[in-house]
Amino acid sequence: MRRTPWTAAALLLLSTVCYPQDPAPTDTDTIRQLVQQLKDLQERVKILESQQSRADGAIPSSSNIPTPPTELEDQTGTIPTEELERHEAHGIQWRGFGEVNYKVLNQRTPELGTGGFVSGSAGNFYTGDLGLFLTSKLTDRTSVLSEIVFAERDAQRYSVDLRRLLLKYDYNEHLKMSFGRYQTNIGYYNWAFRSAAWMQTAADRPLVMEYAGNGGVLPTQAIGISLTGAISSGKLGLNYVAEYGSSDTIRPDINSDGGVNDENNGNQVNVGFFLRPDAVLGLQIGSSYYHDKISNFVQGPSIRYGQSIVNGYVVYVAHGVEFLNEGFLIRHAALHFSEAVFNTPAFYSQISKQFGHIRPFFRFQYLNASPNNTIYDDVGLHFGPSFGARYDFNEYIAFKAQLDHTVRRSEPDLNGLQLQLAFTF
Amino acid sequence: MRTKTLLMPLLICLTILVFVRVASAQAGDVAVVVNEHNPVTKMSRAELRKIFAGEQRSWSAGLPIKVFVRAPGTHERGALLKVLGMTESEYKEYWTRQIFRGEIQAEPSTLPSNGMQREALIVYPGAVALVSFQDVKAGMKVLRIEGRKPGEAGYSLN
Repeated sequence: MRRTPWTAAALLLLSTVCYPQDPAPTDTDTIRQLVQQLKDLQERVKILESQQSRADGAIPSSSNIPTPPTELEDQTGTIPTEELERHEAHGIQWRGFGEVNYKVLNQRTPELGTGGFVSGSAGNFYTGDLGLFLTSKLTDRTSVLSEIVFAERDAQRYSVDLRRLLLKYDYNEHLKMSFGRYQTNIGYYNWAFRSAAWMQTAADRPLVMEYAGNGGVLPTQAIGISLTGAISSGKLGLNYVAEYGSSDTIRPDINSDGGVNDENNGNQVNVGFFLRPDAVLGLQIGSSYYHDKISNFVQGPSIRYGQSIVNGYVVYVAHGVEFLNEGFLIRHAALHFSEAVFNTPAFYSQISKQFGHIRPFFRFQYLNASPNNTIYDDVGLHFGPSFGARYDFNEYIAFKAQLDHTVRRSEPDLNGLQLQLAFTF
Repeated sequence: MRTKTLLMPLLICLTILVFVRVASAQAGDVAVVVNEHNPVTKMSRAELRKIFAGEQRSWSAGLPIKVFVRAPGTHERGALLKVLGMTESEYKEYWTRQIFRGEIQAEPSTLPSNGMQREALIVYPGAVALVSFQDVKAGMKVLRIEGRKPGEAGYSLN
């Protein structure tokens, strides 16, 4: 009788101890655990071998060359991962981005960024851009980055564009320098999505953010120096961008009439600030000011205009939501012979939400160049909605379907359907 | 006497029960650990997010930060995703984007065990990792997050 409380207590204790445990593992779990343990041991052996080879460096051989201690930080290869192995060769990290498109247009004439579309056909396939991205770490603070794009042009010919080639030096959190050919940090979209279709939610870029080489109105690239870094601001998360360089934008007419606009840009200055407040994860608010001098190609290269571009944006990207809002004011002011000033406002707003593998999206865009603006005589007024969805098969391949309706000044509305397979490798 | 006989085992049992529960809660906490020679002792959750998102890449003394993470499906990985506010697929996509933007060179090294994380913390002076509190060993320096250590009431990383 006296043993009863102890027995009850033991049973209670046993049940307590057993309660939080997981159910018995299945055979699959056991195999997975064993494989994991094997991998652990293999990795551990690699590290120990690496440490041993450094310690035994007295007898150098082709596989046992002593390594200076200062290079220890660079020995990331001693702890490889599947992803690293896939995208690294001889110290060079690489990535590839590609796309295959099918587009249908009711007006049978494409506008921006569709170099492979055959004018006159109602719809056809084209490949868009193939991007190869290479980066290599030279020291703890120095690296090289390049982005080479093969872009499809008319008659399935391809042009090579060195979109970025940068020698980067990160002095500290407050000063990160890049020298070379860079993508101008006008706005958020250029920085966030670069030139890879796979990175974008929609099948194409907003009109105002299209690359100049595809007819876009912004000077998207330059060669020079780019500085960026954090400004001590506590929870505000203030950062700056400053760029000084030379660009020479040659922009094909967006109405596909074959015309080309050579802007003969002078050196450009671009200064911007953006906030990433700690209080709202995913929120970024920024603004930038760009200035250079360009030629009015229609009037002749000696007729120069001051070009100023003001940008502001509010972006929220977190918890599966992407909400992008950017506005621009492009101002062209004649420097000689005239006091003509032309303002070209533009904006886009895009919202999307991830539901499992599917991300439906909606975008509205607006771009309005004055008919009297001879620099943008091919641009005119464009506005309208786009909507569609992106389906991610896995982390490498996405399929997008998008419908566009664009209202144009003095031209019929443009309706389009775009199907795109975008991938990274 | 009979009441005392009955109460004693139950009291002991209750004590053990409380101990098991507390231990269980502590095992659920995930510690932020750095190299033991790193002078940092604490950070905010926002700083933690910036470090594991690659936005902050050096310690205040200028030492480069080297982030190590655990593989998908582990308890530490789950805590990491909570800190970043991402799903596993969003996490992978995020790093691909960051690489292509030129913000970073490679995503953080993924290590298959906490033992490996400990080795990495010893080898790399600027290393930082997330480790289940029960797996914290010598050579790992546990940081306070928002003023609290794992196992303390209100510790938010688990």
